[in-house]
Amino acid sequence: MAQPVGAPRDMSVWESIESFLSEPETWSGPGSIWVRLGEHLWVSIVAVVVAALLVMPVAVWFGHTRRGSEVATAVVNIGRALPSFGILAISFLILVRMGAGIREPWAVLVALIALAAPPMFTNTVAGIQTVEPATVESARGMGLTEREVLTGVELPLAVPVIMEGVRIALVQVIATATLGALVAWGGLGRFIVDGFAQQDQGQLVAGAVLVGLLAVVAELGFSKLQRSATPRGLRTAR
Amino acid sequence: MRRAFRSRAVGAILAVALVVTACGSGDGAVDGEPIKVGSFAFNESVIVAEIYAQGLETNGYEVERSLNLGNREVVKPALESGEIDVVPEYIGTLAGFLGAEQSADPAATWEAAKTAFEEVGVTLLQYSPAQDKNAYVVTAETAAEYGLSTVSDLQPVAGELVFGGPPECPERDLCLLGLQEVYGLEFAEFVSLDAAGPITIAALEGGEIDVALLFTTQGIIAANGWVSLEDDLGLNPAENLVPAIRSEVVDAYGDDLVTLLDSYSEALTTEDLTELNRRADLDQEDPALLAEEWLTDNGFIE
Amino acid sequence: MSLLAQTSPLIDWAWISRNMGQIVDRTWEHVTLTAVSVSIGLLLSLVLGLVALRWRWTYGPITWVTGLMYTIPSLALFALLVPIVGLNATNAVIALTSYTLLIIVRNLVAGIDGVPEAVIEAADGMGYTRRARFWRMEVPLALPVIVAGLRIATVTTVGLVTVTAVLGLGGYGFFILRGLNTFFWTQILVGVALSVILATILDIAFVLLERWLSPWARRAT
Repeated sequence: MAQPVGAPRDMSVWESIESFLSEPETWSGPGSIWVRLGEHLWVSIVAVVVAALLVMPVAVWFGHTRRGSEVATAVVNIGRALPSFGILAISFLILVRMGAGIREPWAVLVALIALAAPPMFTNTVAGIQTVEPATVESARGMGLTEREVLTGVELPLAVPVIMEGVRIALVQVIATATLGALVAWGGLGRFIVDGFAQQDQGQLVAGAVLVGLLAVVAELGFSKLQRSATPRGLRTAR
Repeated sequence: MRRAFRSRAVGAILAVALVVTACGSGDGAVDGEPIKVGSFAFNESVIVAEIYAQGLETNGYEVERSLNLGNREVVKPALESGEIDVVPEYIGTLAGFLGAEQSADPAATWEAAKTAFEEVGVTLLQYSPAQDKNAYVVTAETAAEYGLSTVSDLQPVAGELVFGGPPECPERDLCLLGLQEVYGLEFAEFVSLDAAGPITIAALEGGEIDVALLFTTQGIIAANGWVSLEDDLGLNPAENLVPAIRSEVVDAYGDDLVTLLDSYSEALTTEDLTELNRRADLDQEDPALLAEEWLTDNGFIE
Repeated sequence: MSLLAQTSPLIDWAWISRNMGQIVDRTWEHVTLTAVSVSIGLLLSLVLGLVALRWRWTYGPITWVTGLMYTIPSLALFALLVPIVGLNATNAVIALTSYTLLIIVRNLVAGIDGVPEAVIEAADGMGYTRRARFWRMEVPLALPVIVAGLRIATVTTVGLVTVTAVLGLGGYGFFILRGLNTFFWTQILVGVALSVILATILDIAFVLLERWLSPWARRAT
């Protein structure tokens, strides 16, 4: 009797992982780890950058003029209540109807920008608003223009909180990009979704580990960046 | 006081959780318990499963639906474990999956699959004349450009073409694996899409893939003027529809259930499937409504 | 005729009324997955939080581990659990629970730490034992912050439950996945809308709970 095809292979997880790692397609060609990693990184970074460019100016204005803190809170609450999977699906359907290709990353990119915006917006507003009013007042009192107050005092002091927002956005985006595989895109999630479908535990686990590592490295790396970007006077020993 | 409230609340939640998780594990339908109808994750499977489900309900059976579960890697274990009781299957692919003999002869393939499946407590009822095989489809333009009418015609040009299909395709002997082994085809790239669903269709329409894995009963192929390449080396075995049902359920409910499901199988034709699929894929009609219409048209529902 | 040119109506109300049973079933599934995961998460976080408060040096490692689990994308965590527990509700609950730990533990510790020194001293002065002081003074005062953590954890979990659709569950995520498989707007929108509504209802419920638990804060404003 022939070996049942497509049935879960008689392999332990380790053997399956080994088998996956020893396949040449894993390391070269259009479906390789490098390609998927590249896709994943590219789309995550672009999403965060674009979202930042879109919301930071407005957020800075809100923060500086000490307005809209309710808006900021509402934004983060709404952002949290929106299921990222759902946003991705809606984005996919809209963009496909508009003529974007199935395999192109625009649907994923749009969804990721939408998800990266709220935490960066809210943290930027909050970061600037929580600068001690006394500090801002004394800066004004020293004769600094509004612009100088903003760039010389408020922004530097708000940097830790702002960067926190960027970090949250980045990690969120990396996680949601994984779901991109559910809308026929690539990224590291491709190994997970295909692994699920093919009952290939090696591919499944390898994909999961890779994207987990990416997320953790991004988080840790960014924390480090946060610390070095924080003005020395604000760095408190934790 | 607040502490007491909190711990009582936590206790209550835990109790609910325990009850819910205990209720979660299905034992399979026995006398009086609802029959769980499952399906694969593509329109045709949902439509046929709905035919079973609605037909059973009309005749007084209690039915639970677990439709759109996924591919066979998910559905087969669910059937074996009793999470679902009956699912519309395809004799050829099923036989291959079970390691049994598959051929172009429906009776022999059915027999082989039946014997193999019974070893795990699932039986096959009468198979339908309706067949749905894997189709390897190109657009009219692609067919004209490369002179394609059979799958063998792909041999010289496969390396320039992109193949799109469901994620499990590279592992399936009626998909990429078989195309490699039987036809010697090595495509430039495989793109993981869905099971002959709108994503695959849109990808073929948009020219993002050159060859798509679809199903022979998908009326959209003809509607779009696409070319379903002829399987000249006979890779695909007979793929008649058949209800795969847990033996336990058959024993519990007896002949009436079997007769009922057999009557649907008998009445289903390949043309029916093609028309139903076209309306589901192209006109985006609801599979449940399509099933109801079919049952009414064929006299199973008033 | 091109599939790409098709436009299914945005909301097919007939579909919704036909599938009310499904919608109710999925609501139950979504609520249960959320409730079970957050409850277990709360319990585990209480234990971890107490450990961290009693032995301060453990706070770092605990935050580190729960933070690690939080950072791993949900789809990846489900995948990693497949070789261990399979493709089922247990998988979903384990993963969903682990996402709640960081938030609740952090808020628990922050809440207790946030209790004013004056209160601690007053309690000591009144002769409370350390244990009594903790449970009768510090915890109630920390409750608003703890509940805030619970709130965030719950709302986050509601969103994550949709991803369990890949495990065959999903709650409202089932409609999203199915809508994707058929390019059917109504299903996707129903899935997203209901998920948002559920998250918002729970959010508001927790905000009310926070306010009810801290009448002194209300009086102060």
